Amino acid sequence: MKYHNELLREALAAEYALGTLQGRARRRFERSLKDDPALRRYVASWQERLAPLDAAVTPVQPPARVWHAIQRRVTAAPRGWAALWDSLRFWRGAAFAGLAAALMLTASLGVLPPERSELMVVVMSDERAEPRMTVSWDTDSGGDKRMRIRVLGHAEMAPDTAWELWMLPGGDRKPLSLGLITTHETQSVLVPRELATAINAAWGLAMSVEPKGGSPTGLPTGPVLYKGQCTKL
Amino acid sequence: MPDDDPIAEIMARCALRDAQAFAQLYRHSAGKLYAVALRILRREDWAEEVLQESFVNIWNHVGDYSAQKSAPTTWMTAIVRNRALDWLRRPHQEYGTEDYDLLVEALASDAPDPEQTLQSERAARALAECLKRLSGNQRQSIALAYAHGLSHGELARHLQQPLGTVKTWIRRGLEKLKSCLDDH
Repeated sequence: MKYHNELLREALAAEYALGTLQGRARRRFERSLKDDPALRRYVASWQERLAPLDAAVTPVQPPARVWHAIQRRVTAAPRGWAALWDSLRFWRGAAFAGLAAALMLTASLGVLPPERSELMVVVMSDERAEPRMTVSWDTDSGGDKRMRIRVLGHAEMAPDTAWELWMLPGGDRKPLSLGLITTHETQSVLVPRELATAINAAWGLAMSVEPKGGSPTGLPTGPVLYKGQCTKL
Repeated sequence: MPDDDPIAEIMARCALRDAQAFAQLYRHSAGKLYAVALRILRREDWAEEVLQESFVNIWNHVGDYSAQKSAPTTWMTAIVRNRALDWLRRPHQEYGTEDYDLLVEALASDAPDPEQTLQSERAARALAECLKRLSGNQRQSIALAYAHGLSHGELARHLQQPLGTVKTWIRRGLEKLKSCLDDH
């Protein structure tokens, strides 16, 4: 889309910098920015004009886990572990060989994360052993522990149902609920505090379909769609 | 900004893939950028994700930066703001009623007061002065949209005004702001 009128172009740049240009209009505008230096200059000028509004912000120290996560991603990029992890095609391609082969491949490429950061990874597959979801977390993260969840490909939830994630402690011990998740491609879910330590020793994870609001009994009641074993990297 | 010069140097080293410089850049800027993300998203977990994505983005694109014409802080802030706005406007990620109440509460407690909050630099003074020349409605909608990432629709709900009215306030306010700043 071309924006011929200069006044309109600048007005759009202003609303883009302000944040009120949205949705499809925002996407379209961002596409035009790529090969329109004049439009980029309008945006840059507006960003400078409005920047003093950020000077009033009092800095807030983010938790250390943010930096650890960034470090892990940038030191491995671009062909590193993080990129591989994020690559849907890789997991799809690895499906035939299963998790073990996938991990061996990862190791043989020499792209394992730095030693001191221990990462727990679960590749959750459906009954045909096709990977559907990946879950990972730092074993040593102090304070609140978060799981990073990736739903691979498009997933749909039946109406009035919920997806509940379960920790499988191993042996004949009962599954413990990790809470409800969505079908969003990427999610970050807080591990219930009482399971924050236990989850590092879990055998695996499972995801079951439950009534809206989650299992009424505290144990899986619906079919288990995906399941996977924990692997420490 | 006067404190941007050392950052420009740090960023140049980041462009050469200097991991230590990147750590320095993070130490210097993360607090401010996290606060910007928090102000828009109002949820720590979302702000953490956005900050993480933004810094990965900064690392990947710091090489392109020299071609840009903006100050380093402005450039990095724009990345965080864009990520935060994208995050906020994901499908099905509208503010829930509860979140919206929290938001309104928060807005009430930090009602924008450019005179008090802006730093006393020249650019900031000029912006503060020019904001003062806008009508109260124009000023309020622009400040709310910028600081908290409110959409036209959310502004209209918050200010209890028709959508068209809010859009006009913003458009006219921005026009007036520009001509005032150009005169300074």
